[in-house]
Amino acid sequence: MEFKLEAHRIVSISLGKIYSARGQRGGLKLHKNLLVSLVLRSARQVYLSEPGCPPEPPPAAAAARPPEEEPAPRTAAWAAEPPPPPPQDEAGRDCQGPRPRRCCCGEENRGGCAGAPPPPHCPRKRSAGERGQAGSPVKKPRREEEEPPPPPPSPPGEQEDMETSNVASLISIFGSSFSGLLSKEPKGRRRPPLDGGEAAAGTAPAEAAAETGQICCDEPVLRTLNPWSTAIVAF
Amino acid sequence: MQASPHCPANVPQPSSEEVTSGADIISTVEFNHTGELLATGDKGGRVVIFQREPESKNEPYNQGEYNVYSTFQSHEPEFDYLKSLEIEEKINKIKWLPQQNAAHSLLSTNDKTIKLWKITERDKRPEGYNLKDEEGKLKDLSTVTSLQVPVLKPMDLMVEVTPRRIFANGHTYHVNSISVNSDCETYMSADDLRINLWHLAITDRSFNIVDIKPANMEDLTEVITASEFHPHHCNLFVYSSSKGSLRLCDMRASALCDKHSKLYEEPEDPSNRSFFSEIISSVSDVKFSHSGRYMLTRDYLTVKVWDLNMETKPVETYQVHDYLRSKLCSLYENDCIFDKFECAWNGSDSVIMTGAYNNFFRMFDRNTKRDVTLEASRESSKPRAILKPRRVCVGGKRRKDDISVDSLDFTKKILHTAWHPTENIIAIAATNNLYIFQDKVNSEMH
Repeated sequence: MEFKLEAHRIVSISLGKIYSARGQRGGLKLHKNLLVSLVLRSARQVYLSEPGCPPEPPPAAAAARPPEEEPAPRTAAWAAEPPPPPPQDEAGRDCQGPRPRRCCCGEENRGGCAGAPPPPHCPRKRSAGERGQAGSPVKKPRREEEEPPPPPPSPPGEQEDMETSNVASLISIFGSSFSGLLSKEPKGRRRPPLDGGEAAAGTAPAEAAAETGQICCDEPVLRTLNPWSTAIVAF
Repeated sequence: MQASPHCPANVPQPSSEEVTSGADIISTVEFNHTGELLATGDKGGRVVIFQREPESKNEPYNQGEYNVYSTFQSHEPEFDYLKSLEIEEKINKIKWLPQQNAAHSLLSTNDKTIKLWKITERDKRPEGYNLKDEEGKLKDLSTVTSLQVPVLKPMDLMVEVTPRRIFANGHTYHVNSISVNSDCETYMSADDLRINLWHLAITDRSFNIVDIKPANMEDLTEVITASEFHPHHCNLFVYSSSKGSLRLCDMRASALCDKHSKLYEEPEDPSNRSFFSEIISSVSDVKFSHSGRYMLTRDYLTVKVWDLNMETKPVETYQVHDYLRSKLCSLYENDCIFDKFECAWNGSDSVIMTGAYNNFFRMFDRNTKRDVTLEASRESSKPRAILKPRRVCVGGKRRKDDISVDSLDFTKKILHTAWHPTENIIAIAATNNLYIFQDKVNSEMH
């Protein structure tokens, strides 16, 4: 059980690193992110193979875990799926805080997503992200991440829950941030389609553009999201 | 940065000047082929070259000290508009070209662009022009009554640095190493996934000689971490990977050297397996010995000497700071586990050196198997002082002046070190300070 806790802690630390790598000056460092993703994969494997896996899905288990394991509210929102009450300080940052919660509820619909109901604009954002993703939600962001771990073998319940709890949050970041960004991209800049399909790329910007009004992300958030997506483009 | 006065024989001599901003963090250190010049690059894109003063005849025991010779801005921050990415100006590597005439040349690189700089001295200037006066203005022709031949008069030494070549747009990923070939005509640059071969005179094209980018980036499992040409065989080079393996490639075998000639890999010790095994096995630096017979690699906890003729395991393994093995999780959290330490050979390949934390650096004598830990700090490095060996205690009995593992300062890391090609002079970069230690007595460990 100790290994399990440590593994989960390492997973949340790793996710935090991947997230914070977005804003790095000089672009994403491929080597470091590859190593982090390898650690992430090892820890996840240990977590899943531990015999003491609790019967309830990790999101609920994570929510029950003591809060001091999660260093920051944002990281907490990812690794330990929705914290039971939305943290007060996230109320003002709709786009960042609730995003993982929202997408966990919307995309995967696995049990135990105990988050607050998503803000009104979320379904739109989420669906724009989904439309842009042709592949399975699990595979999708990985293709867009430069050095993602290969998708795990087709899983029974808990393994998928683990992915859901930790990777679905990544999915939501990629999905919604792409759609949000497409609306902000200057014209004439060529970008690879989200899912490799021309059609999707064609529609996504149009839909995303329509959502510009509804997107509550303000300038600073988009600015932070920008290096991430463009770094993906770069790789 | 200024070298302080040197010291008599047998006394390691520190030289440093403190600066406080982040842009002054030294990111690379390199002696030239004679050891007369020492170049440092920093995070702000600047290069500082130190020159060793010639030994004074009046004081035969005094060795030349290193003084600043030239400072120039090599790289500036750039912005890749197509990808919306900022390109850091930090100098990742400097490599000197072998000197072929009065000028010195070096290559410096940041993440994307390699530049060839020519460093020349001017200590004379012509005087006595017929048509121009001293300031260079045209003379009134009616005042010219006779002809004279301009003569060269001495002037204050001026060091001029000019960019002679700019090798741009060769790399999609971040350049981590450059290496000049022994043929003195070509050099290679390596990024995370590709290695390019350039001709020093041609900037508009390069040959890709290694490409490990998978067709599907999802399948990426390893990246290139360092590379170097063999010191004598111009067709051989080695590159290291994040998985801890080395690949020796022969450019005669094929145009694309994706298939290695030799693969050097040590099987992992299963008893040491942890979440972080992969990270700590990543090779951060690889250096051929001066003889060309061995390779030195540095991973997070060890330095290893490999014999080119033996692929199955290194011939020597030295523990740099094994006491960190139980702390890998914390080091992962604070990102220290990703620190890339360099390693160096001494001139005779008998001693190897590498940096560690707490401003410690380590030297291993391959013959006597003795090792020493030294510290590069102002307090312990007064002029004319002998460096005192340090010790890290890991429990058990603790001697006076020992440092415990928990009180190590992980923000003080010595990533970059260099050893003079022939003499016992070492340059140690400790964050934004440069220390130059000299030891007249030959390679005896204290």
